[in-house]
Amino acid sequence: MPDSGYPWPIETARLDNGLRVVVSEDRTAPAVAVNLWYDVGSRHEPEGQTGFAHLFEHLMFEGSVNVAKTEHMKFIQGSGGSLNATTNPDRTNYFETVPAEHLELALWLEADRMGGLVPALTQETLDNQRDVVKNERRQRYENVPYGDAWLRLLPLLYPPGHPYHHATIGSMADLNAAALATFQDFHATYYAPNNAVLTVVGDADPAEVFALAEKYFAAIPARDGIPAAPDGRTVPATGRPAAETVTADVPAPRVYVAHRTHPYGTTGYDVTTVLATVLGTGRGSRLYQRLADGERIAQPDLVGAYGVDLAHGPAPLIATATARPGVSAERLRAGLTDVVDELATVPVTAAELDRAKALLSTQWWRHMSTVDGRADVLGRYATQFGDPAKIGERLPAWLAVTAEQIAEQAAELLGAADRVTLTYLPEEKP
Amino acid sequence: MTLIATRPGPGAARPYRFPQVVRRAVAGGQVVAAHLPGQNLAVALLLLDAGAGREPVGKEGLGGVLAKALEEGTAQRDGTAYALAIEALGTELVTGLDWDSFQVSVQVPVDRLSAAVELLTEAVRTPRLDPADVLRVRDDEATALRMDWANPGPRADAVLRADLFGAENRWGRPMHGDPQSVAALDVDDVTVFHSEWFIRPGTLIVAGDLDRLDLAALGAAAFAGTGGGPVDKGGPIDVPLPGRRKVVLVDRPGSVQSTLRLGHPAPHRAHPDYVPMTLAGTVLGGAFTSRLNHLIREVHGYTYGIRGDFAASRRFGRFAISSGVQTAVTALALVEAVGEVSRTQLTGVTEEELAVARSWRAGQLSVELQTPRAIASALTTLVVHDLPDDYHARLRESLLGADVEQVSAAAADHLHPESLTLVVEGDSAVIRDELVAAGLGDVVDHTP
Repeated sequence: MPDSGYPWPIETARLDNGLRVVVSEDRTAPAVAVNLWYDVGSRHEPEGQTGFAHLFEHLMFEGSVNVAKTEHMKFIQGSGGSLNATTNPDRTNYFETVPAEHLELALWLEADRMGGLVPALTQETLDNQRDVVKNERRQRYENVPYGDAWLRLLPLLYPPGHPYHHATIGSMADLNAAALATFQDFHATYYAPNNAVLTVVGDADPAEVFALAEKYFAAIPARDGIPAAPDGRTVPATGRPAAETVTADVPAPRVYVAHRTHPYGTTGYDVTTVLATVLGTGRGSRLYQRLADGERIAQPDLVGAYGVDLAHGPAPLIATATARPGVSAERLRAGLTDVVDELATVPVTAAELDRAKALLSTQWWRHMSTVDGRADVLGRYATQFGDPAKIGERLPAWLAVTAEQIAEQAAELLGAADRVTLTYLPEEKP
Repeated sequence: MTLIATRPGPGAARPYRFPQVVRRAVAGGQVVAAHLPGQNLAVALLLLDAGAGREPVGKEGLGGVLAKALEEGTAQRDGTAYALAIEALGTELVTGLDWDSFQVSVQVPVDRLSAAVELLTEAVRTPRLDPADVLRVRDDEATALRMDWANPGPRADAVLRADLFGAENRWGRPMHGDPQSVAALDVDDVTVFHSEWFIRPGTLIVAGDLDRLDLAALGAAAFAGTGGGPVDKGGPIDVPLPGRRKVVLVDRPGSVQSTLRLGHPAPHRAHPDYVPMTLAGTVLGGAFTSRLNHLIREVHGYTYGIRGDFAASRRFGRFAISSGVQTAVTALALVEAVGEVSRTQLTGVTEEELAVARSWRAGQLSVELQTPRAIASALTTLVVHDLPDDYHARLRESLLGADVEQVSAAAADHLHPESLTLVVEGDSAVIRDELVAAGLGDVVDHTP
């Protein structure tokens, strides 16, 4: 077992305004990754403002006091870099990877939009990006078969008022109602240095990065009293399963079975991660062996299981299968739930466990093989667990999971009473 | 609060280096490797001259079915035992196919690469290909394609390809086939294709810490029992440009977006204008900051994104634009997109735009070529297109050296707005009249 899943140096500093800076030097390639985690996600959105955190992420690319509209992208791409940003229930991250000599440019751009976005934010920009986001919703969720599964699973898993009850993309009605002042307030409230972690990984000297962070970010004031998201750590069990059946324009019946597990970063969720791999990753997994190969009721490419790595509430475990032609949704659902149920009754063998851990090890090192992959995970650990060095513990923790722990978790959390089932049925065609 | 107003300039440029390339002739095959010192993971990729271009017309999707059938058991063990053996090493068999090649690869911690290459070879060279398994895999592949074709995009792609290259040619049909072509394959198609193309040695690509790998042993494992030499790959195909622009409407009732695929034929990969053409494509549609994305997304808000580029294989190429736009603005978005192609063709690019495009493309070589898999992919480019070891370093220099005149000339020569085929997959009942009124060309309804 490796001592650490992170054999690179990690150095940290904190500016007077509360901005945490994490640097991990690696001179292998002449590139550097810059990553900002802001501790704000869709879990912070009140009712009527769903989708705002994500729409706001779009606005961050539309210019700030010293950066004209469109210049952010132009400067990064013009330096040879790649960039993007994502929003999820937990957080919003912004990142660029640039040839190492352009590190200072990336820091200048990030500081300008952290400290100087509001004066540059206009109604025209908001209207334009609102349209872009509505098109994103159409493209990713509405115009594709099964595209709304995640939107349907969340309210079945988490009750109203829970921070994970609604999806990050938000509702069209809320997006339509979004007002400029709300977004100005949103930035002032959450985009503060003491609510962010700046991570730099790659061909850069830590002392130089700390000095540049001071130069560009120190002038941005801290903000007091950043409101917390609602507490979602416990979800009271209802004692009865939740189920929804959707008849839609889909090519075959599909079933999702979902359960609430533990928050990412806990031992319980490490067990979930290994359990999900035993259950649903690869041709050697239980779902593939039983449903795609054995009974041959599921399409081989579309059977699987995974945990969604959320840290502020019991994260979901999702197992899914899509019917082979001629197989009914009932039969598929029965097969899928049988395999999930058996995790509690049929012990995971040493070979199954070794297979899962070997796959997870490769997955971990693949994630660590780029500077941008490393920067994002360091930012996560600093933001969510207060210490980027904890990143080294994850892989060993996965490798320490036992078959007994998997059986216990299955018995405790994956029972029928705690189950969410979502079934898609094809429309009857005339 | 005082933010620093002045944009900082770059620091001292770091030298660009592509990893050291090692080529070895071993046991009748070629090993091409890149040295990645200290890297924990390694990739081995077997490259075979068995791409979609080798499939007979009417047998589209054959390579995809064979790829899946490889894992259904070998001369040594059944499919389940094979899956458990390879996954116990921490990898899965990853297969891929394009017009020019078939690729199968493994990615593992470096000390397991030798065992993984042996398993890879076992599946590729000695698959069981039991007829019942082949037929089941074929049916599963047909179902998988049917699932995929329920999404917007694949139908539009196929209609555009057929219009550009002619459905009577293999290259005028979908690279991965369609649900019907796959469903029509039989066991002999698969076994014959295997014996024709999968027993030749091919090339083993290795990306990893070569101090911890034995290339001769890896090559010997990969090429054991192989035979037959290289087969002529054929020269570039002369694809005529359509005489006039037209709109082809693919009905998708109830669609909330229209899926757009616009394109025309373009030069093959070895064309001398490859670099200026790539840059012209980048300015027009290849990057987030490009003209098309700026206009259609950032100015008009019609879409989540729009891209356009030149793409080329050994024998042919195409220019294409793809996007999904809100149904109500379908005709407007098309008019704007075609207008932008025309403007770029007529007036070329500006130095400001080109400066972004050339440094972006050049910089991406440092930024993107980090992982063993990315390096392995770069090595396959060298092999498939017969390029020298220092190709990536030279490419970087040519990108940085391209000037406005060259790139504008490439745009003038290789963009053909009047020959575009505009495929629109959307709600015909809602958008048809507007498409006719837009006057972009004759509107033809696609009949499946």
